[in-house]
Amino acid sequence: MSTAIDRRAPTGLRRIYEQNERLIIGVGSVIAFLIIWEAAFRFSWVNPTFISGPSQVFLAAIKTFKSADFHTDIQTSALEFIIGYLMSIGIGVPLGLATGSSKRISYLVSPFVHILNIVPRITLLPVIIIWFGIGIWSKVLVVFLGALIPILISTYGGVKTSEERFMKVARSFNASPSRTFITIVLPGTVPFIFTGIKYGTGRALLGVIVGELYAATAGIGYFIAAAGNSLETDKMLVGVGVVIAVGLIALEVLNRVEKRFDRWRPVVESEKS
Amino acid sequence: MSRTKVMNPPVSRFEASPSPLQVYLRFEQGILGTFSIIAVLLIWQGLSTGVFADWLSPLLGDQGASKLWIKPIFISSPTRVVAKTGEMMASGELWEHLSSSGISFILGSTIAIVVGIPLGLAIGWYRKLRYALEPFLLAYNATPQVVFIPLMIIWTGTGMATRVLIIATVTFIPLTMSAWTAVKTADPRLLKVAKSFCSSDYQRFRDIILPTSIPFLLSGLRLGIGRAMVGVVVGEIYAATSGVGYLINVSGSSFQTDSVFVGIAMIALFGLLLTALINSIEKRYAKWRPSGAAK
Repeated sequence: MSTAIDRRAPTGLRRIYEQNERLIIGVGSVIAFLIIWEAAFRFSWVNPTFISGPSQVFLAAIKTFKSADFHTDIQTSALEFIIGYLMSIGIGVPLGLATGSSKRISYLVSPFVHILNIVPRITLLPVIIIWFGIGIWSKVLVVFLGALIPILISTYGGVKTSEERFMKVARSFNASPSRTFITIVLPGTVPFIFTGIKYGTGRALLGVIVGELYAATAGIGYFIAAAGNSLETDKMLVGVGVVIAVGLIALEVLNRVEKRFDRWRPVVESEKS
Repeated sequence: MSRTKVMNPPVSRFEASPSPLQVYLRFEQGILGTFSIIAVLLIWQGLSTGVFADWLSPLLGDQGASKLWIKPIFISSPTRVVAKTGEMMASGELWEHLSSSGISFILGSTIAIVVGIPLGLAIGWYRKLRYALEPFLLAYNATPQVVFIPLMIIWTGTGMATRVLIIATVTFIPLTMSAWTAVKTADPRLLKVAKSFCSSDYQRFRDIILPTSIPFLLSGLRLGIGRAMVGVVVGEIYAATSGVGYLINVSGSSFQTDSVFVGIAMIALFGLLLTALINSIEKRYAKWRPSGAAK
């Protein structure tokens, strides 16, 4: 907020610092955090079992990445995520388009969407386990339910905000409903669909992790839970680190994709605001 | 003009006794919504009692029809859930679970509010603090925070403290992010004017930032409540001996499907109530939003 009241032209090192302040402070604080963490572990300020140490975690990471079990875990989680996610896109987008275009369908479906949106989907986990067992399909369903709602709601919103002026023109020229839908509603909805897909990713990841922590025989969540149960904190933190990395990468990729498809958004809308 | 006035009375008389179709159209949303809920409940009930199987056995043969009878141990049934709710209310078991969950929900979300909102405001206000904490917060925000649960259990055991901690850790991040956004989007023109008139940091914060941030904080709170409910359920699944999440978990693992659905219904009910509460607060404070921020 308090930008440069100081108007002297800074020179040398000071200028370099000012140009990269954000990076320098950011990297500095991460390094400081790691040093304090390592020190707390080395000098046993805290019980070492509780926190492990960055060097320990690094060693455990090398060992873990080499083990075949870990590869199975990653593959299992990825499979659950991908199947569930594709299902939620495959069902959420058409259902969102349908509820957006037809008032009656939306009246029929909305009570359930509303309730599902409010109840945390993981509440259903115990029942889902009863129905589908502890294999991958129970997790696929949790992922599906988690991602479905944001995709559906966002798509619905996209159809609803179709540019009124374009719709009027189409009507004036006697365009058929299907033609109006394909040439106006659908392209206008694309950015909203991607926003929904972006929000869905977080829910889907949550679903994979909670589902596997709860009941599984393989998967990254299972890996974390198993390491936690045997107090192997270093191994557990490797798993946590992998999940954080996946979350960050997924968010970055989706932000870019969303931005790319945002160009589709009709210009008129931004003029209006 | 006068012509239409003359035309008016018959119309209103017509409205006085509307045709069934008009009544239907006016209440279409309610009617269709109720219809679909009732339809699902009836199908659910029918599947669990095996009525469909009985009806269709002449058509499909006993073998095929038996697939339409799903034993209540798998799906329970609406009547069983209602009966179980009554039973648990009478025995006081339900209240015990509800109060246990309620206490950890209130404690956890209070901690999240007290820590999360000031943190977000501070990050938005102090540039260097923001640069220092940004990497951690962005990473934390992109992660499903439940991965930290096993770690928290190692640290604090499986008592009440762990549950409160779990709820607080999943709830504070949307609050922090929304408070941060609020400061970020405060109208720079207003801040500049205040600065030109030599206002102090504190004055600018109190008179410009805080009022602008109310709507953002409320939408953060709405997200936070959803997260807190996730926290309650997940926390109680992993570390509890009472509570609605515990009820769901234990009944699930012992195939008492009726009780599982009682728990789910309770969570749904609370979610609806809390959302309604936030909606009414939001409506009230929407007037507060200064026109500068809405630009």
